[in-house]
Amino acid sequence: MKRLSTVLYTTCLTGLLVACELPPRQHSGEKQTADIIRTSASTEVDPNEEYVMVTTAINMPMYVNHDQAAFKKWGAARGVKVSVLGPAEWDVPAQIETIEQVIATRPAGLLINGTDPGITQAINKAVAAGIPTVVYDSDIPGSRRHAFLGTDWYQIGQMQGEEMVKLIGGKGKIAYMGILGLTNMEQGFQGLLDVIKKYPEIEVVGKFDDKANVETAAKLTSDLLAAHPDLSGICGFDSNSGPGMALAVKEAGKAGKVKITTVDWEPEHLQLVQEGVIQMLAGQKRELFTWYGAQFLFDMVHSTNKLSANDAQIGITNIPHTINTGLIKITKENVGQFLKR
Amino acid sequence: MLKKLLQDRVYSLGITIALICLVASILFPANFPTFENVSQVMLNLSIDTIVAVGMMLLLISGAFDLSVGSVVAFSGGLAANLMYFHNLPVPLAILAGLSSAILIGWVNGYLIAYQGVNPMIQTLAMMGIVRGGALLVAGAGIQNLPYWYNAIGQSKLLGIQMPVWYMLLIVAILSFLVNKTVFFRRYYYIGGNEKAAHLSGIRVKQMKLYGFILSAALAGIAGILLSSRLGAAMSTLGRGMELRVITAVILGGASLSGGVGKIPGALLGAMFMGIIANIMVIARVSGLWQDIILGIILIFAVWLDLFVQKRSLHQNFFRPIWKKESSKELGKAELVE
Amino acid sequence: MMYLQLKGISKYFPGVKALEDIHMALQKGEVHAICGENGAGKSTLMNILTGNLQPDAGELLLNTQKIHLSGPMQAAKMGIAIVYQQLSLVDTLSVAENIFANSQPRNRWGFIQYSQLYEKTNQLLSRLGLHDLQAQTLVVDLSPGQKQMVEIAKALSKDPTILILDEPTASITERETQVLFTLIRQLKQEGKTIIYISHRMQEIFQIADRVTVLKDGKYQGTYQTSQVSVTELIRMMVGRNVVVEKYASSATSEQVLEVKNLSGKRFRNISFTLHAGEILGLAGLVGAGRTEIAQTIFGYLPRSSGEILVKGKPLTVSHPEEAIAAGIGYIPEERKSQGLFLEKSIVDNILAAKLTTAIEHGWYNPDKATNLAIMYKDKLRIVAPDVHQPTVYLSGGNQQKAVIAKWLMADPDVLLVDEPTHGIDVGAKAEIYALLRKLAEQGKAILLISSELPEILGLADRILVIREGKISGELMGQKATEEEIMALAAI
Repeated sequence: MKRLSTVLYTTCLTGLLVACELPPRQHSGEKQTADIIRTSASTEVDPNEEYVMVTTAINMPMYVNHDQAAFKKWGAARGVKVSVLGPAEWDVPAQIETIEQVIATRPAGLLINGTDPGITQAINKAVAAGIPTVVYDSDIPGSRRHAFLGTDWYQIGQMQGEEMVKLIGGKGKIAYMGILGLTNMEQGFQGLLDVIKKYPEIEVVGKFDDKANVETAAKLTSDLLAAHPDLSGICGFDSNSGPGMALAVKEAGKAGKVKITTVDWEPEHLQLVQEGVIQMLAGQKRELFTWYGAQFLFDMVHSTNKLSANDAQIGITNIPHTINTGLIKITKENVGQFLKR
Repeated sequence: MLKKLLQDRVYSLGITIALICLVASILFPANFPTFENVSQVMLNLSIDTIVAVGMMLLLISGAFDLSVGSVVAFSGGLAANLMYFHNLPVPLAILAGLSSAILIGWVNGYLIAYQGVNPMIQTLAMMGIVRGGALLVAGAGIQNLPYWYNAIGQSKLLGIQMPVWYMLLIVAILSFLVNKTVFFRRYYYIGGNEKAAHLSGIRVKQMKLYGFILSAALAGIAGILLSSRLGAAMSTLGRGMELRVITAVILGGASLSGGVGKIPGALLGAMFMGIIANIMVIARVSGLWQDIILGIILIFAVWLDLFVQKRSLHQNFFRPIWKKESSKELGKAELVE
Repeated sequence: MMYLQLKGISKYFPGVKALEDIHMALQKGEVHAICGENGAGKSTLMNILTGNLQPDAGELLLNTQKIHLSGPMQAAKMGIAIVYQQLSLVDTLSVAENIFANSQPRNRWGFIQYSQLYEKTNQLLSRLGLHDLQAQTLVVDLSPGQKQMVEIAKALSKDPTILILDEPTASITERETQVLFTLIRQLKQEGKTIIYISHRMQEIFQIADRVTVLKDGKYQGTYQTSQVSVTELIRMMVGRNVVVEKYASSATSEQVLEVKNLSGKRFRNISFTLHAGEILGLAGLVGAGRTEIAQTIFGYLPRSSGEILVKGKPLTVSHPEEAIAAGIGYIPEERKSQGLFLEKSIVDNILAAKLTTAIEHGWYNPDKATNLAIMYKDKLRIVAPDVHQPTVYLSGGNQQKAVIAKWLMADPDVLLVDEPTHGIDVGAKAEIYALLRKLAEQGKAILLISSELPEILGLADRILVIREGKISGELMGQKATEEEIMALAAI
C-alpha cells in the first residue's frame, strides 16, 4: 500500500516536472521564430479596429497634452478606435500588467511608452502573440518591438551640456537633477557629463533626485544655492525639474544669474523662458511619437507598403525600425512662436 | 446556514468574486472568460498575494508592515546586482536576497516588539530606508539576468506561469499551518487581546518578532519572483504595494484591530482587486477613472459587508436567549443537586 | 409625591421580550434600588430612561406630564442623568475637562477659558464634598474609586433631578463606598431622586429607601427596604435561596507554594505558604498591592527580591509561560481586558493557556479542541448556545466560567484567583464559590484575592490582610469577622 502511494507520488511529481516548460532562451540578434503578425485582409478601415496605447502616469499633463492628444487626433482622423490605458501613478509593474492584460484582448496594434527596460518581457509577449507593437519615447533595446520612435536621451543631455557650457563661459559650478533610477534619465545624465568633462574648469557639485515633484525640485535648488552661492547653472531632466528650479532661483533673486537648462516645453516652461529665468529648453517632439507610431501600426496591420507577397508570414517588418524624431531647442529668441501655438 | 456562510468573509467574498466573474463573462464573452486572460490575471495578482499572506498574519496579530513594498524592490535588486555585477551564482544571489529581507524583518520586529517603537513609524521609516537601498543596488534597473534566474518566474506548468503556482503553494502551506499548528494559532490570541495572551503564557514579543520576520521573508520571496518574472530588477518595483496589500487583506477579512482573518482571505482580497482592475482594462476604462471606480467599489464592498455583519450582530446582541436560559438552567441545576 | 412614573413599559427585541409591562413610580428625594440578575432587564430599563431606546408600549410620566425621550440629550434636558458602569472617562485629560466634556466654558470667540473651567470644577467638587479631587489632576492618576466620583460629578454637572447609578461600587473599595454613600445621602437631602442599580444586597439595604425587583424582564414588586429581608429579595431575583455558607476546610499539610520575603512593585517582604487543598484569602483595600503580588508570582510583573518555591523547588519566572510550566495559574481581576479574548469563541478562550492539549498526531485539531471545550462547558455549566459563540455575548458569570475553564484545562497545582466574582450576578457567584471549593477539595492550592468580605470569609481557610503592600495580619477563616478584617486593612 505504502509502496503504491510512493509510486503514485513519484509519477505525479515526474509528470509535473515534465509538464513544466522553461522560457525560451534569448538569443542575441535576430529572433529564431517568425511570429505570425495578425494583419487585416483588406486595406479598408474597419471602425472596430482598435489601437491601444499603454503608458504609465497616465494623468501627467505632458502625456495628456502631447502624446495622448495626438494619438486621439490620429484615431479620429483615421476613423478607428483608440484607447489609452495604464496606471495613474508612475508604476512600471502596473504598466506591465496592463500590457499583458491588453494582449489577452487582442487589439489591432499596441503603442507602448518605453518607460523602463523592465517592460521587455511584456513587449516580447505582445510580439509573440502576433500584435504589431511600437515603442515610443525611450527605446527598449533588448525587446523585439517592431518599431521605435523617440528621442535619444543621451542627446538631450549633450544638448543641455553644450548650451550650459556656452551660458557659463566654460567654467563654474553646476548641478543637475531628475528622477534617479530611470534608464532614460541616466542616459541623459551621461550625455551631460560626457560634454562637461571636456571642460576641467567646470565643477559638478551634485546629482539630485527631485522625484518628479515641483516642491522637491524647488527645495533642492534653494538648498543648493545656500550651499554654493557661486553656483553657475543647473540642468533639469524631468518635466517638473524646470518649474521647481526656476521657482527657487527666482525666490533667491538670482533669476538670469544662475543659468537653467531643462527639458520639456509645457506652457509653464515657455513662460519661464520668456521671463528669462530658464535659458534653454531641450524639447521633444512628442506629438510625432504617437501620431507616427500609430500610423506605423496601421500601416503594418494593413500592409500598406508590401515588401513581399506575404510579409507577415515570412517575418518581415514593413515599417521603419528606429526613428529619431530629433530635438527642438527653445531659447528666448524663438519662444514667442511656441507661446503663440 | 447561508447567513452563517455569508458572515464568513472568505465565503462572502468568494461569492462576490464569482458573481463579478459571471457578469464580466456575460459582458465581455470574447475577452474575459478566456484561459489567457484568467491566467494573466492570476499571474498579476500572484506577487501581491504572496506579500498579502504575510500581511494577513501580521494583521491577525494586530500589527502591520509598511516596508514590504520596499523589501520587494530590495531583495530582487540585491539578487540581481550580485548576479549581474559580481557574477554570483543564482542560488547564492537568491539566498542573499532572502537573507536581506529576513534581516529587515528582524530589525522591524526587534525594535517594535522589544523596544516598543511605534509600528507605524518603524515600518514607515524602514520603507524609506529600504527604498533608498533598492535605488543603490538596482540603480537605473538591471536587465539581462541569468537564464536560470529568469526561469524561476517565467517557466510554465500546465500553461500557467510559475509565480501562480508558488503563490498557491504558499497560500496552501500557510493556511494549513495557521489552522493546524499551535505556533501560528497564537497569533489570533495576540491580536485578540495582547494582555490576556501574555497572561495566558504566550510569549507575545517573541511571536511578534517572528511575525515581522515572516512577513518580510515573504516580501523577499515576492521580490525575487517579480524580478525573475520581469527579467529585470527595478528600484521602483513594489511602489504603493503596501497599501494595496493591506487593502486586499482587510477586504479578505482581516481587521486593523487584529484577532481575525484567514489566510485564503488574502488571496481572495487580492483576487477581488485584480479582477476589478482586469475588467477595467478590458472595458478600456481610462486610467483617470480607474482609481475612482476602484475606490468606490472598495467602499461599497466593505459597507455591504458591514451591513450584513451588523444585521447579524444586532440580532445576536439583542437576543440574549442564552441569558434567559441561563437563569432557568441554573435553577434546574440547583434542583438536581 | 410621585415624580417619575413608568406605566406598562414594554420593550421587545427580535425573539425576546426584554421588558414586559413594567410599572414603577419614583418619589422625589428617595434612593430607589433596582435589583435583578444579569439579563433581568435592568440595562434595557436604564436605556429607556435615558432615551437610548424607545419603549414599544407604555408611557413615561414626569410630574404627571407624559414625556417622550428621543435620546440622551433630551433626557438630560428633562433632568435625567446616568453614571455608567463602564467608566466613560478619558484618561489623558484632566478631571475638569472630563466633567465638562463638550460643555467647557468658552469666551465669545469660542475658545475654552481654562481658568473658569477649573474654578467651576473646583466649586462643583467642593459642593459635593469631594475635597481630595483637584480640577487639574489627570484622570489617569486617580484610583478607581476617585474615577467613579469624577464620573458622578460629571453627571451632576448638568444639575439633574434624577440620577441613575449603574453598579457604582463594582470597582471601588469599602471606604470609597462609604464616601459615595455620604454623597448619595447629601443628594437625597437636596431633593434629588437616585436610582441605584446593584448586585450587592448589603449596599441596597444600607442606602436604598425602596427596592424594585426585576426577573426575566418582568416586574416582581417594589418594597420598603425596612420591610423585606435579604433572603426574600434574593428569592425573588433568582427564584431560590442563595447564601454564602461556610464550607468545611479541605486543607492538607502539603506545602505547594512558598513565598519568602517577596518584594516588587507596590509590595514589600511578603512571606506565606500555601498548602494543597487550601484556600488562602488575600484581603485588603483596592490598591493595597494584592494583585501585584499575584502577578509577580505569575511572572507577569518583575520581582525585586525574595524567593518563590513551588513544591520546594525555587522558581525564577520572567514570563507567565514559565509559571504555567511550573504549575501556576492566574485568573485576572479585569476579566474583559486581561482574562478574555472577547471576539474569540469559547473554544479558543478555553484553550488559550494550553493550546497543546488540542494537538492530535502532531497537528492542532479543531475538532478535538471543540470536544474539549464542550466537555468543560458542560462541566462548568457555561450557558451558551454554541461553543463557537464569541465570549463577548456571554453574561459576566459565564465569561468568568470560561476563564476558569481555561485554567482548569492547563491543570495547575496553584491557582491565583483575583476578584473572581467581580460584576457577576448572584446565581453565578454561588456556582463559582462551589467550583473554587471543589477545586480545593481536589487538592489544588488556591490564593483568593477578594474585596468582598462575605466572599472571603465564606471561602478562605486562612486570611492574610494586606495593607499598603505589607502583610498587616493573618486571621483564621472560620473565626474571622468583617470588622477584624477592616480593622487590619484600613489605616
